[in-house]
Amino acid sequence: MFATIKNRFATTDIEVKREDLYKVVVQRDAIFELIFMLREQYDYQTLNAITCCDWIEEEHFAITYILTTSDRKQSFMVQTMIGREDAQIDSLTHTFEQAEIMERDLHEMYGIDFPGNQNLVELSLENWVHTPPLRREFDTLEFVNNNLSFREGRDGNMDVKKEMKRLRALKKAQKAAAKKAKEEASEVSDGN
Amino acid sequence: MIILDLALMLITAYFVGFIYYGLYRNITARFQRRIGPTIFQSFYDSIKFFGKKEAISHGWMFYLGPIIMATGAIMTLFFIPFFYQSESFSGLSGYGNLFLVLYLMLLGPLGNAMGVGVGGNPFGVMGVTRGLTRLFALELPFYIAVVAIMSISQSADIATIAGSQTTINAFAHPLLFIAALFSFVAMMGQSPFDVVGAPVEVYSGPASEFSGKFLSLLMSQSAIFSFAKLVLMVNLFLGGADGFFELLWKTFVLFLFVIAFGAIYGRFKTPQSVDFLIKVPTVIAIVGLIFATAWGN
Amino acid sequence: MDEGFLKEQQVMESDLNSETSHKSSVDFLMDWFRRRSIFVLAYGTGCGAIEMPPTFTSRYDAERLGIRGAATPRQADVIIVSGYCSYKTLRRIIRTYEQMANPKYILALGSCTVNGGMYWDSYNTIKRLEDYLPVDMYVNGCMPRPESILEGFMALQKEIGDGKISSWQKYEDNYAFYRKNQEAVLGQTVAPAYDADWYLYDGGL
Ligand code: SF4
Repeated sequence: MFATIKNRFATTDIEVKREDLYKVVVQRDAIFELIFMLREQYDYQTLNAITCCDWIEEEHFAITYILTTSDRKQSFMVQTMIGREDAQIDSLTHTFEQAEIMERDLHEMYGIDFPGNQNLVELSLENWVHTPPLRREFDTLEFVNNNLSFREGRDGNMDVKKEMKRLRALKKAQKAAAKKAKEEASEVSDGN
Repeated sequence: MIILDLALMLITAYFVGFIYYGLYRNITARFQRRIGPTIFQSFYDSIKFFGKKEAISHGWMFYLGPIIMATGAIMTLFFIPFFYQSESFSGLSGYGNLFLVLYLMLLGPLGNAMGVGVGGNPFGVMGVTRGLTRLFALELPFYIAVVAIMSISQSADIATIAGSQTTINAFAHPLLFIAALFSFVAMMGQSPFDVVGAPVEVYSGPASEFSGKFLSLLMSQSAIFSFAKLVLMVNLFLGGADGFFELLWKTFVLFLFVIAFGAIYGRFKTPQSVDFLIKVPTVIAIVGLIFATAWGN
Repeated sequence: MDEGFLKEQQVMESDLNSETSHKSSVDFLMDWFRRRSIFVLAYGTGCGAIEMPPTFTSRYDAERLGIRGAATPRQADVIIVSGYCSYKTLRRIIRTYEQMANPKYILALGSCTVNGGMYWDSYNTIKRLEDYLPVDMYVNGCMPRPESILEGFMALQKEIGDGKISSWQKYEDNYAFYRKNQEAVLGQTVAPAYDADWYLYDGGL
């Protein structure tokens, strides 16, 4: 199988991650051919998941399709890279119906477009208008600071670290004082 | 004088009904190993709802529902004599007989169906549909049993039926009593026939859109109506009553049975409950009817 | 605005500085009934929803205090916001709250409703519930145990009995303020679509 894939798709990036999990990285235009081939010839019947990873430094998304055989014993990760700007890749819904909801998820969280998916509406967010939240240029903290108000702490609010340091020093000093007192006492008793 | 009589009947039914409902919740709690609320809890609930302010209006047709229901319940109560001998607490029973009572018992559910239908809440409509389906099923055995009782005592007058029992009908004609009892459990909205207001299925059903004063009215009418039904059953099958004490213990025994029955059974689905009511109690009632007419008296 | 712990403090100290109330006898009676009968909307959000079934069933038995579940918002007195709420949930909570009949109360559980709790930097959950809805009583903890929930209920009952709670009035009076905050996170359409479009999505069932 590996030899066929290597020859046909001109890739060397193929690895055995585990006994039951293989991974291959191919060019973007070859990926559907590869998925179809795996499905037809090697019995990878199920699309388990479509995942996405944001490589902001390398300016691309890594999209991974995870396929599983019908006896559930082998899985195959098929990966490809797409550009971050105007990210788009064809939909898989015509082959795997379950791809619809996974693509909806990726569309919502990364803003990837899937031409061919008829139902690319929001999945769990509602009326979201900002940058898709899982893109790495989206700064969560900044968003929260801009849009939501925090509760100011109570009046007697103290810095926990400083306070702990102070308490520890206090304790140490007390201990030292106690020790000293004890020593003095013993000295006195010795003197007697 | 009759006005005073009616008012006294209403007040009695109201308070006894609410205390029975409180007892119902408390006893059910004991069945579930809880402490449970006080026996006045239902009364508190009802008064509290009376003090709530509703934010919206659904139009007068909607609010006619509980009013018709309350009318049905109160009229039913007025036509059922509490005691078979005494003049007082007999209400309007001199002017109408068992047929009228059976008819009036239907008025409430129908009025409610109209009101809830206008409200447009899908769960309310669902609950009403379930209620009418169940009503159809539970009336079959009940009517058969009641017709048999009427033919046994040769009268349609409730006081006469109650007074004419030498051995009480529950022992003299046990099959009829059992059949009517199944219907009665369904009439009281108890498990396993509590399909109408099932909280997790139809979100309290017909009542789901009501709040405030009208919910309070619904609670009051259900308390009154329950007491009326209990008195009717006591009159028909348990030999009636000759004083308050007898009336209270007889209704309470019946009520306790209904609670216990409800506490230990799970809920039927709607088709199941209809199926059951049409098959088992109806057959028992028919057999009882045959026995009663062939070997009765 | 009432800070959660301040509120609690007030409840604890309320005996110390109890002023003679000037309620009419009808109000007094109604408050007496109200505090003895509390219907809680069967609604849960966040982690806290899991603490409510034990509160209401045999183990802790809230019904002995007159507290019981209600199936629909029309019949409920109290809505429990039991933990973090995402914007999507907040929308539903607001709609539900506005459907309830006056007088109505909000009980908020957990640190998430006080200040965001462990979701303090999440892009999708609100931080302070009291910006959007008038909260009557906070129960602290992450998650509060049923005992503390019951204690919160008892404190609420006490306040209701004293006739001190008028948060629904506050909501009506300061509606502009609340509405502004709601719109800031939810956009112009605060209430979710009313009809069953979830049911009709994807070609329906
Ligand atoms: S306060 Fe804690 S338990 Fe409650 S919702 Fe937040 S994280 Fe969950």
